[in-house]
Amino acid sequence: MTPDLSIEIAGMKFNNPILTASGTCGYGEELADVFDLSHIGGIVTKSITVKPREGHPPPRTAETDSGMLNAIGLANVGVDRFIAEKLRFLEKFDTRVIVNVAGSTTQEYVDICSRLADYPRADMVELNFSCPNVQHGMAVATNPSLAENTVKEVTRVFSRPVIAKLSPNVTDITEIARACENGGASALSLINTLVGMAVDIETFRPRLTNNTGGLSGPAIKPVALAMVHKVYKAVRIPLIGIGGISNYRDVVEFFLCGARAVQIGTALFVQPDTPIQIIKDLKNYLSKNKFKNINEIVGQLRIY
Amino acid sequence: MSKIVIETTEVLKKRDLGQNCFHLILGTFSKTKSIKPGQFIHIKTINGGGVFFRRAFSIFDINPKENSIEILFKVFGRGTAELSKAQKGDKINVMGPLGNGFTLPSKKITSIIAGGGIGMPPLYFLAKYMIEKGYNSEKIWFFYGGKTKNELMELSKIKKLGINLVISTDDGSYGFKGFVSQAINDNFDGLNGQNILFACGPLGLLKAIDQMALREKMSGQISLEAPMPCGIGICLGCILPLREGGYTRVCREGPVYKIGEVIL
Ligand SMILES: Cc1cc2nc3c(=O)[nH]c(=O)nc-3n(C[C@H](O)[C@@H](O)[C@@H](O)COP(=O)(O)OP(=O)(O)OC[C@H]3O[C@@H](n4cnc5c(N)ncnc54)[C@H](O)[C@@H]3O)c2cc1C
Ligand SMILES: Cc1cc2nc3c(=O)[nH]c(=O)nc-3n(C[C@H](O)[C@H](O)[C@H](O)COP(=O)(O)O)c2cc1C
Ligand code: FES
Repeated sequence: MTPDLSIEIAGMKFNNPILTASGTCGYGEELADVFDLSHIGGIVTKSITVKPREGHPPPRTAETDSGMLNAIGLANVGVDRFIAEKLRFLEKFDTRVIVNVAGSTTQEYVDICSRLADYPRADMVELNFSCPNVQHGMAVATNPSLAENTVKEVTRVFSRPVIAKLSPNVTDITEIARACENGGASALSLINTLVGMAVDIETFRPRLTNNTGGLSGPAIKPVALAMVHKVYKAVRIPLIGIGGISNYRDVVEFFLCGARAVQIGTALFVQPDTPIQIIKDLKNYLSKNKFKNINEIVGQLRIY
Repeated sequence: MSKIVIETTEVLKKRDLGQNCFHLILGTFSKTKSIKPGQFIHIKTINGGGVFFRRAFSIFDINPKENSIEILFKVFGRGTAELSKAQKGDKINVMGPLGNGFTLPSKKITSIIAGGGIGMPPLYFLAKYMIEKGYNSEKIWFFYGGKTKNELMELSKIKKLGINLVISTDDGSYGFKGFVSQAINDNFDGLNGQNILFACGPLGLLKAIDQMALREKMSGQISLEAPMPCGIGICLGCILPLREGGYTRVCREGPVYKIGEVIL
C-alpha cells in the first residue's frame, strides 16, 4: 500500500505537499520542459507586481558556499500579462497554483489580489512580505501592524486562501507570524532569503550590482528549521516550510518541526527534477517507517 | 516526453590537450541525436569542491551511433578545475540539450565562421553539421584564432572537414599573425551582404565581428556567455541587455543571437 501524500491547507486539497518556491520556477513554462507539473502538489509563481519590472542589472546572482545570493529585483511580467498569458498556461495542469504577490504599499497588494480574485485558477495568493531586494519591501516584513492590516485588506477582496510569506530578517519572527494570523491569513510560508553579501577581492566590488542580496540554498536550512519550529508553537494556522530543501530528508525535518507542506527553491537550479525525486523518496520513507499518511509526522519533533 | 533530460553519463574518454584544456566524451546521453550546433549541456561537477551550480559547456561533437557527446574545456575557475579531475569511467550528471542553437543559413551563400579560444567547440560542430547536411565545403570559411600556437585545439580534426581554414595567432607563432577579425579582413575577398557570419569566443572578438557586420551590412549569429546558475531559464541570473530594451536570458532565448540584438 502506498502511503498517502495528499494534504489540505485551508480546506484546499493538494495531491502532495511538494511545491516549488516563488522566483525559482518562473511561471512553470520552463520546468514543464523537464517534468509534468501535474506531479507536484503546487507551483508558487514568481512575485508579480502592478507593473512589469525588468529587475536589477547583472550580475544579480552569485554562487556561495552551499548556496547562492540573488538580487533579481522582482523582475516579472506584471499582473496583466500574468493573467493573460501565464495563468492560462498553468490551467492545463492538475496542480495547485499559488500566485505570489509583491507590492510597495498595502493598496498595491489589494489591487493585484482583487484582479486575481476573478480567476479561480489562482487557487491561492501568497503575499511576499519579505523581498529584501526592493525598496519598502522590508517595511511590511518587519512591521507587524502593517502586515496584519495588509493581510486583512487582501482577504476583503480575495475570498480564497491567503498565505503570508515571512522574512527571516527580523528580531522575532513569531510577532509578525501572529500578526498575519490575526489579519486573517489562512497559512504562513517561511522563510524567504536572508540578507547577505559576497565580495570580489580582486576588484574590491560586491559580487552583485545591488551590493547585497538574498541568501538561499542548503546554507539557510538550519535557520529555516528553527524558525518553523518557533512559529509552529506560536500560531494555529498551517505552515509551509521553505529554505534549503534538496532531498526527502530535508522535507521530513521540516514536517517534524511543524510544516504541513514545503516549497523547493534553489535546489531546482541545480537539479530541476528535485521535486519528483523527493516525492518518490518520501513514499519510500513513509512506507519503511509504517506511516499511512504524511500528516502523521507533522510537528512530531521530540524536543529535549 | 521531456525536451530536457537529466542523465548520469559515464566518461568514455578523456584527453589532456595541454594548456589546461581537456576533451571529454560522455555517454550515453539519450538526447544525442536531437542536439543542434550551438546548444549546450549543463554539467554537475563531481565532488563539490565548493562548486554549487552546474557549469555550461557547448557541444563540440556528437556520436549518434553510440549516443555520446563531446566537449572541450579549459580550466578557468573552481567548476572547471573540478571537472578536469574526472577520469575515464567516472559518472557525470548531464542536463540538456539546452539553448536555441544556430539557425542554418541558405545553402547558396558563403558562411564565415569565426572562433577564438574556447569559443571554437560549437563552431566546429556547426561546420561539421553543415557538411553533413550537404553544404558546399567551398562556401564555408573557418577562421580560428588563439593567443599562441599552444592554445589551438583539435586542428587536425578541423582540417579533416575540408573547408577553407585560416588559422591565426596573436603572437604569430602559427598561421596568420593577428586577431581573427584581421585574419578575415586580410584573407577573405568580398565581405558583403551576400555572406553570413557566425562567431563565438572572447568579448573582443565578438565586438570586432559585431562592427564588421555593421560596416559591411552583413547578417550573422553570435553565441554568447554569461554565468548560468540554472541553465533552463528559471533563475533570471544569466541576463544580458537587449538593444531594443530589457534583458534576455542567455540560457533560454540564447546563447545564439542575431548580430546587433544584444548590447555587448
Ligand atoms: C553557453 C555556454 C557554453 C560554454 N561552453 C564552454 C565550452 O565549450 N568550453 C569551455 O571551456 N567553457 C565553456 N563555457 C564556460 C564554462 O561554463 C566555464 O568556464 C565557466 O562557467 C566558468 O566556470 P568555472 O567553474 O571554471 O569558474 P568559476 O569559479 O565559476 O568562475 C570564476 C569567475 O568567473 C565568473 N563566471 C562564471 N561563469 C562564467 C561565464 N559563463 N561567463 C562569464 N563569467 C563567468 C564567475 O562569476 C566568477 O567570478 C561555456 C559557458 C556558457 C554559458
Ligand atoms: C533567484 C531567486 C529569486 C527569488 N524570487 C522570489 C520572489 O520573487 N518572491 C518571493 O517571495 N521569494 C523569492 N525567492 C525566495 C524563495 O522563494 C525562497 O523563499 C528562498 O529562496 C528559500 O528557499 P530555498 O533555499 O529552497 O531557495 C527567490 C529566491 C531565489 C533564489
Ligand atoms: S541560467 Fe538561470 S535563467 Fe539562465
